[in-house]
Amino acid sequence: MTKDVLVVKDLQKHYGGKAVVDGVSFSVKKGEIFGILGPNGAGKTTTLEMLESMRPIDGGSATINGIDVSKFPRKIKELIGVQPQTPAFEEKTKLTELINVFAATYGVRVDAMQCLADVQLSEKANSYPEQLSGGQRQRFSIAAALVHGPTVFFLDEPTTGLDPQARRNLWELIEQVRDRGVSVVMTTHYMDEAELLCDRVAVMDNGKIIALDTPKKLIAALLKKGFTKKQHVEQANLEDVFIDLTGKALRD
Amino acid sequence: MQNFKNQLQFVSTYVKVDVLRLFRDKVAIFFVFFFPLVFLIIFGSIFKGADDVSFRVAVVNQSESQFSGQFVSQLQDNKVFKVDAEAAALPDAKQKLNRGQLDAIIVLPPAFGNPGQAGYPTGTAQIVYEQSNESAAGSLASVLDSVFTGINNELAPYTPPFNAQLSTETTEGLDRFDYTFSGLLGFTMLSLGVFGPTQVFPRLKSKGVLRRYKTTPLRVWQYFVGNVISNALVGVLAIGIMFAVATLFFDLQMRGNYLVFAVVGVLGVTMLFGIGLAVGGWAKNENQAAPLAQLIALPMMFLSGVFFPVFLMPDFLQRITAFIPLTPVIEANRLVLTENASLLDIAPQLGIIGAWIVVVYAIAFRVFSWE
Repeated sequence: MTKDVLVVKDLQKHYGGKAVVDGVSFSVKKGEIFGILGPNGAGKTTTLEMLESMRPIDGGSATINGIDVSKFPRKIKELIGVQPQTPAFEEKTKLTELINVFAATYGVRVDAMQCLADVQLSEKANSYPEQLSGGQRQRFSIAAALVHGPTVFFLDEPTTGLDPQARRNLWELIEQVRDRGVSVVMTTHYMDEAELLCDRVAVMDNGKIIALDTPKKLIAALLKKGFTKKQHVEQANLEDVFIDLTGKALRD
Repeated sequence: MQNFKNQLQFVSTYVKVDVLRLFRDKVAIFFVFFFPLVFLIIFGSIFKGADDVSFRVAVVNQSESQFSGQFVSQLQDNKVFKVDAEAAALPDAKQKLNRGQLDAIIVLPPAFGNPGQAGYPTGTAQIVYEQSNESAAGSLASVLDSVFTGINNELAPYTPPFNAQLSTETTEGLDRFDYTFSGLLGFTMLSLGVFGPTQVFPRLKSKGVLRRYKTTPLRVWQYFVGNVISNALVGVLAIGIMFAVATLFFDLQMRGNYLVFAVVGVLGVTMLFGIGLAVGGWAKNENQAAPLAQLIALPMMFLSGVFFPVFLMPDFLQRITAFIPLTPVIEANRLVLTENASLLDIAPQLGIIGAWIVVVYAIAFRVFSWE
């Protein structure tokens, strides 16, 4: 039994008397990909931002490695890596230079070329971020978020707007990060992504977690209730066709 | 946790990258290095041209005497006068005078140069001028006077018992340009310090670039110090280029010590950058920052002696002006540049700049946000 790295208990956030996050509790183990699913406005991003110590926690508690998030925000920031929804970087700055600047924010020195190689961006080392494609920018953003070797890695809708090849590539990358023993917490809109990638998922709606388990068990539970799909399930879907036709190779 | 040395590592890394970044940005290069040069060249040309005094005059010769003919050709040869040959008749000349194309008309009346009772030529030249141009007419009269004194002495040698002799203090070669240059330096520092960051930081914020730093343990002071140093370096370079151009093309006379001058430059840029940092760090987007930046910078530009000297202002304004942040910067520049002032001489100015540094950075720290 691996230990819980991130422990969230009864987390709350209110805006103008309305509960946006209403008593959320879960825990994430070492080397686990934990997905938070839910429609827009469910409170996913707000939950993430409180855990990242980017927003004050109104009620409940969250700890990483036993350190309280609201009491020691700066210690927490050294333990986490954050991938924002839309990564943006200063222009006219080489990727290696940006990696060095991010490493310096944590007071560490890194081999910038190795960091870029980890996300297959070696040949872009002297490019500027504005010259990268959407998928490349996401990959670079991951490299920048991991410079200091964090314990927990937060990603907010990382694959929104990417083409199928870039999505698949990003999934592989996130799995590699998990395999290094990092706990990954990510939000997503895409159920296929959650099903394929996440070890466990929490489904959020109206600020509450309404289901939490492995994707397989959640599906099994639904089927046990007697659920059947109306249409015949194909052995392949259109995305399988698309990938079969265009290949898995990255296009950026 | 990071120690202080780790925290300084960010500052040095950031400064290096930030300066490199500037040199890759053509627009930034234009505004930082070339835009001030445009002003320098405009002002330089105006004030250098104004330096060699000459009068645009028309000479209306109504006399037919031999003397008046010679006198006219002498005026034409004289470098102090630019004689307008096309306005030889009085009506033409008056029209040009009214339009401001001439400073004055010199009228030689019909009897000018006719021999008088003593046997040598006599006469009175009239100077016609626009009332608004009285000072030019006064100088012109005294120049003509001295021309006549020379002629009088040859015709009727005579030594008057009392004489007044002019001797000027500005013989060392300082001219108006040397004074204006310190104002232009102030303008450069102002645009670098206030207009730069009030555009850059809100843009970085609205794109979410700064928000990313907030997810790291980076402290605001580290970011501030990194930006102050990179901007001070760039500012010193911009001022150096202005110096080179002013010295090469406009014959700038630098009397002061370069080290003292650099101290004023670094402190000035640091203080003005703090104003930009406070505005740009407070504003959530460009729309908030731009009007506030204008509101702060424009009065400074006009009240601090960028375009015209402070001593020309009414007393009550001068008293206010002394405490505007840009004024001591320009004054200190001017004192070092034209009077070779030492650090001790400009201690009052440096004191006011120092006080402003404390004030603007205290405000900047309070209002700064990463988002």
